[in-house]
Amino acid sequence: MPFEPKEPQKEIKYEETRIYTDAELNSYTDEELNNFKIKHAIPDLEELENGPWPSFVADAKQEALHRRKLAGNRMLIERDVVEDMLGQLQDSFDDGETHWKHGGIVGVFGYGGGIIGRYSDQPEKYPSIAHFHTIRVNQPASKFYNTDFLRTICDLWEYRGSGLMNLHGSTGDLVLLGTTTEQLEPIFFELTHVLGQDIGGSGSNLRTPSCCIGKARCEFACYDTQDLCYELTKYYQDELHRPAFPYKFKIKFDGCPNGCVASIARSDMSFIGTWRDNIRIDQKAVKAYLSGEVEPNGSAHQGRDWGKFDIQKEVLGLCPTKCMYLEGNELKIDNQECTRCMHCINVMPMALKPGIDNGVSILLGAKAPILAGAQMATLIVPFMKAEPPYDSIKDFIEKVWEFWIEEGKNRERLGELMQRIGLPKFLATIGLRPVPQMVKNPRENPYILWQEKDVPGGWSRDIDAYRSRHKS
Amino acid sequence: MDELKKIIVEFAETNMKTKFYFKDIEKAVRKVNSDVKMRDVKKACTALINEGTLIYFSTGSSTMYGLKGRGMTEDPEP
Repeated sequence: MPFEPKEPQKEIKYEETRIYTDAELNSYTDEELNNFKIKHAIPDLEELENGPWPSFVADAKQEALHRRKLAGNRMLIERDVVEDMLGQLQDSFDDGETHWKHGGIVGVFGYGGGIIGRYSDQPEKYPSIAHFHTIRVNQPASKFYNTDFLRTICDLWEYRGSGLMNLHGSTGDLVLLGTTTEQLEPIFFELTHVLGQDIGGSGSNLRTPSCCIGKARCEFACYDTQDLCYELTKYYQDELHRPAFPYKFKIKFDGCPNGCVASIARSDMSFIGTWRDNIRIDQKAVKAYLSGEVEPNGSAHQGRDWGKFDIQKEVLGLCPTKCMYLEGNELKIDNQECTRCMHCINVMPMALKPGIDNGVSILLGAKAPILAGAQMATLIVPFMKAEPPYDSIKDFIEKVWEFWIEEGKNRERLGELMQRIGLPKFLATIGLRPVPQMVKNPRENPYILWQEKDVPGGWSRDIDAYRSRHKS
Repeated sequence: MDELKKIIVEFAETNMKTKFYFKDIEKAVRKVNSDVKMRDVKKACTALINEGTLIYFSTGSSTMYGLKGRGMTEDPEP
């Protein structure tokens, strides 16, 4: 089915938006790069280039050389900004401490997030990075972007910023590293008016929601992650841009329990696609796997000698709840026992598929901090349908926020608040009844504290009557 | 709204600190008007930001509000 956008799409043509000519973009030879030395000595950073993996130092040197070759009027911040950044990083290695100061009042008009102020504490030594602010671009997650869009952003950032970008951060944003305060508003204007992009979340805001590629390419997706992520991003604009939370709040969306976004570990509110009916089985395809006609794991292990596919060893024996068995060549699943681990589906994707009564599980309270220990999310809503306009999901989000804003201390994440007050109280406050699926680890350690009124007969019993019934 | 804005500005002018978490502002407003809703305090803060009376101060991980002109409220000169 051809893609039909729900809203009019603005086509960005690089030939119309480009700032630099091809000659300016391809301005140095490999030989020049090999012989290139930045103006500061950076022996420890150069050591990082010797490993087997691509190094950011090599990338930064390319950018430094590229800026050396550009004409002075073709960039609006200092030419040697990248060289000074590398020089200061070497100092940090030498001194064993950072030379960045971060935070401040920089931002764009009306926005409380999206820009993070960053300053060097050695502005005399490294004047080009005295101001080196970060901009987070909230490009809608997991959409398809063509090179016209990406090249336009790169040109803009070369012209008004350092040219350094970070595309693999856990925020999910495109992170533009290093510009001066006076460039912030012009960059914001270009992003919003030319590229149709907003800036992302930072500070005590809802952070940029992020999702997996979902139904756009993945047959396991149990709901439309892109649609839900985009809808909530637009619906909660006020929470994204005007900070009034006790601290940061992250929402992430995984289309299925494979959890490619790792929302269970990285977000205060994690949505994981699931199903409440049965795993679909194509018995003909099961036989094809058994006979070796179809390779397991979507041929991911092709070309290596793993031996013949052994369903007993590779699937049934690895099922965490042992809910699968073979009757002859027929695969049977006791779906009541399935914990949605996805292993069997991943190994035999042509034979097994998630059910069709789909929705999301909602988990709360994860965080992955740098200083204290990481915390995984806790299952709070075992199943909820996820269909536009997502009213039940929005109601739930707002209930959780209302409680956290009221009860949370300054700089207290939702997971910490849940730990502080205890889960029974938390559940009661947001109006959920405890259910057996809410277990800390599957099938062990139930955390539900029963109240006496919930238990038929309460706590009291006649011990003599009990003993008369149980004499030995 | 004007009443709320007045309370917020008074709090920001007289408090010993020059930067406040939103919760501090909310508490200060609740002392004067206990029935006020969080959403209304936020709207008043946003209006004061847009007027240029208040400013945001962000560390990157958390955000505070300050009164423009009190404490450090300008970007430091390079």
